[in-house]
Amino acid sequence: MMHLIATTIPILTPIFHALEGVMKHVLNFFHLNVGLPWAWSIVATTVLVRMLLVPLTIKQIHSMQSLQLHAPEMKRIQQKYKNDKQKQNEELMKFYRENKINPAASCLPMLLQLPVFIALYYTLKHFNANFLCTTAATSGLTKAGGPNAACQAVVAHTNLSFLHFIPSIAVGTTVFWGGYVLLLVYVASQMASGLFMAPTAQRSQRILFMIMPLVFVFVIARFPAGLVLYWVTTNLWTVGQGLVTRRLVQRTPAPAPERRSSRTPPQEDEGTSDNGTSPEPSAPAPAPAATGRPRQVRRKKSSGRRR
Amino acid sequence: MSAVLRAPRYAGIGLVWAWRVTFGVLFPTTCKYEPSCSEYAIQAVRAHGIVKGGALAGWRLLRCNPWSHGGHDPVR
Repeated sequence: MMHLIATTIPILTPIFHALEGVMKHVLNFFHLNVGLPWAWSIVATTVLVRMLLVPLTIKQIHSMQSLQLHAPEMKRIQQKYKNDKQKQNEELMKFYRENKINPAASCLPMLLQLPVFIALYYTLKHFNANFLCTTAATSGLTKAGGPNAACQAVVAHTNLSFLHFIPSIAVGTTVFWGGYVLLLVYVASQMASGLFMAPTAQRSQRILFMIMPLVFVFVIARFPAGLVLYWVTTNLWTVGQGLVTRRLVQRTPAPAPERRSSRTPPQEDEGTSDNGTSPEPSAPAPAPAATGRPRQVRRKKSSGRRR
Repeated sequence: MSAVLRAPRYAGIGLVWAWRVTFGVLFPTTCKYEPSCSEYAIQAVRAHGIVKGGALAGWRLLRCNPWSHGGHDPVR
């Protein structure tokens, strides 16, 4: 496996180098032209990338609205193939195609984020060489004690901190205690975004999305803190976008018969409880509870599928 | 087919697996197609070799955009 990656990396090196060059310019723009600190430049870059991807998600919102409209039919299909998950999936996919809806996320928008991630990884890895120890930055200091000392001086005088708890975005997260806080925030945000990014995922897949951040936090701990910052930001954007999407989808009229059938039984029960005064006080009580519980379950399920 | 000729295919499948265990889990998503993009790539490379299979997988990834309809789409 290691050999395989090693043999493929020479092909990718020029691509990675080009990505790093682009990212360098973007970060420089936010830092020098906009005047943001380095850490906030990363956040701004992340927001910029996600804003560029928004047009892709608008399509997704439309798709979810039509998905909600077809919810009863889909439930019928799920019921029909309850015992055969594979068949159920195939039938659902067929149904999606026939009605021109696509509930699942597409691979492409996700794939578009990978180059950004790689670019940021290399840019932060070579942070000093990219930004702080360039000949322009150290030219005034070279006389003091060679280029290395000049570089150290520039690094010492540059503010790389974020919100006072991360001293430097260019070093590993485990170097300072604030990094652990960041990692904790990462795990939480990754779990939350996992829920929003894969609404149609099956239960086992959802559990995997919950567990994976706990495993990956050990890998990520070696990355520069700025990269984790990117990750947290993009996760929070995903969550926010998911919440907005859910709002917009809920505003569209839901199929009427579904709602009414679930609402009428409790009203009837109230009527019977008023009539039956003393003989059976306990009998009507469980009835609303019984009708109330499936309704909650249904709501939970539909909201899970809606996104 | 000899092992030497098959080597590029295994390399390609290995790459897909490398994707799956790294970024595939970090950016969790479910594919709108069946089989999923990564599964499609593995099947395509296995059936058609690294060049044609890779091209098929690339074309599939481009099709897996928000404007397509998804659905059942096996390797031919």
